[in-house]
Amino acid sequence: MVKYGMVIDLNRCIGCRSCAVICKIHNSLPPGTWWHRVETVGSKEHQVSTGEFPNLSEVYLPVPCMHCENPPCVKVCPVGATWKREDGVVLVDFERCIGCRYCMTACPYGVRQFNWQDSDESFEKGFKATGFEEGFVEGYRHGYPVDHRTKDGRLVYTPKRPRGVVEKCTFCVQYIDQGLKPACVRGCPGNARIFGDLDDPNSEISQVLRDKGYIKLLEDMGTDPKVFYIPPMRKKNRGAVKYSAEIEGGV
Amino acid sequence: MSSNSSTGYKIGLLILVAIAIAGISAWVYQIQTGLIVTNMRNSFSWGLYIAMWAFFVGTAAGGLVVSSAIYIFGAKEFKPIAPVASSTAFIFAVGAMVMILPDLGRIDRIFNMFLYPNFSSILPWDLIVLTTYALLSAIYTYVLLMPRIAEKGVLGLLKKDLDGDELKKLQLKSERYAKILAPIALPFAILIHTVTAWVLATQLSRPWWYGGLLAPTFIAAAIATGPAVVILACLFVFGYEERLKNAYKLLAKISASSSAALLFMYYNDFVVRYWWGEGLDFEALAIVFRDYLHIHTLEITFILASIVLLASAKTKSRLIAGSISVNLGVFFHRFLLMPPSYNIFPFKMDGWSYPIAVGELRGSLMNPLLVFVDYWNYIPSSIEITITAGIVAILTLVLIGLLRILPVEGDSNV
Repeated sequence: MVKYGMVIDLNRCIGCRSCAVICKIHNSLPPGTWWHRVETVGSKEHQVSTGEFPNLSEVYLPVPCMHCENPPCVKVCPVGATWKREDGVVLVDFERCIGCRYCMTACPYGVRQFNWQDSDESFEKGFKATGFEEGFVEGYRHGYPVDHRTKDGRLVYTPKRPRGVVEKCTFCVQYIDQGLKPACVRGCPGNARIFGDLDDPNSEISQVLRDKGYIKLLEDMGTDPKVFYIPPMRKKNRGAVKYSAEIEGGV
Repeated sequence: MSSNSSTGYKIGLLILVAIAIAGISAWVYQIQTGLIVTNMRNSFSWGLYIAMWAFFVGTAAGGLVVSSAIYIFGAKEFKPIAPVASSTAFIFAVGAMVMILPDLGRIDRIFNMFLYPNFSSILPWDLIVLTTYALLSAIYTYVLLMPRIAEKGVLGLLKKDLDGDELKKLQLKSERYAKILAPIALPFAILIHTVTAWVLATQLSRPWWYGGLLAPTFIAAAIATGPAVVILACLFVFGYEERLKNAYKLLAKISASSSAALLFMYYNDFVVRYWWGEGLDFEALAIVFRDYLHIHTLEITFILASIVLLASAKTKSRLIAGSISVNLGVFFHRFLLMPPSYNIFPFKMDGWSYPIAVGELRGSLMNPLLVFVDYWNYIPSSIEITITAGIVAILTLVLIGLLRILPVEGDSNV
């Protein structure tokens, strides 16, 4: 059985937020809705270091849905609209969700997003705010253009999101069901992400998890996330500029 | 109901009708526009509606207190007011379920609760116990009123011509059924508060709720507000009658002692949270005193005032003031369930909270507002307040109507 997971190497993350943006584009996220966030740990502003000079730290932490093995959101959903598929991906059925938002209360990572208004209206508002009347191109909506349903027919992706339902990161279910990788994995300029089958011992992700030390977010809550982080290793000479021997000698 | 035809009463009714209409219009507007008209957002996803749901579940406790007092503790003085008490229980149990509806994003899919219930979630269980309790309260009210309905009829219907013997038989039957029903209803009466509390108390992600103490405080709040609501309803139906003075006094005492229990449990929890001085439990408490001290002051003042007023309430005005006071206090107590739980979140590192996307595009290109927030200063929007006030008005009107239609007033049949 396939069990999907993701590794994010924080040593490689440059905090560019490409993952969050490409997620927004590919999944046609309405303005104000973010399935993926990247923040600088401990800092009010992104990409501003924290601490006192010279002991500064600037760790970027990208956070998609953790696709927990023990997902609290699935447990609390009164109608079973959110569920964990056999491949371990936690999905939301847009046609069953009643919009009670109990899952948003249950999720300790704050990844769940609600459609507070009609997405047409929020897009219009977004374009107006940036000085466009209709959109960049009239009638065009960015994102994967067609609905995606699971094998048992449940609607888990639709470009025009219905109002009043909860949505969240799906590991790009419309792509992984076609054997492609999630958009954030493909769009990461630093190649910080590995996506693959945790049950296959020969997959790249399994090998990386075997070889390297990793952490899971809020591990003691028992949610058992399937997104793993390789913590930043370099502590020595952090922030120092190292020149090659020739240049050092020349100076 | 001598005062019921006075001008003041009529004006009161008109105001209630106006509020109800405003509430329904606001609800229609909210259904058309979406929950964007509320001030809830992704980082603060439940607000006034859920607080009011918990509040109504509490006020539905009156039926339990009265019926169990009669049949378990032998408090005979409650017999004349039992049908009024169980009517309030019915109205507010239904009211609690109605209160959830405006909170739903897709009210049109409410039937999914019956088609695909997920029983690992507490919500379907809450629906089951609330429905059962509402049904039992309705049946109980009917059973208590059987003889009087036969005598006087309801809206000119259901009236039967019974001779003395038959009426006596019906009275005995009513008595017998009530005795059977009371102990069946009792566990459900306790369960509605417990299960409602569990909806919140099971959430490890919300340190303000998580733990075993929430259910007992819910029961204490219920037994404080339930009898107060019964007092108000009975004063409306019967007035401050001599034969009911003892019943009023006892109800007021029950409410006052339960308020005291509520305050005890509340502050007991505060001490436990405060002592360690660190961690999420402490931070949730700190938010109450840092940002919500005014609401905390209101809840405590009103609850304390009600204890003073109701502990030995010997006049009508004291009863009214005390009963309103405890309801206001517990309402603020309910509201305070929300802000500390949504603004203190386990996704933290060294005191820094990972911010959450608001869910709405705010501000303009030149004056953008934060996209990701770690704190949401929730104040209910005017639409939320109007809808809530509308539901309160409708429930009050239905209760008044029910109390006028049903022959609750007649002399005690025993």
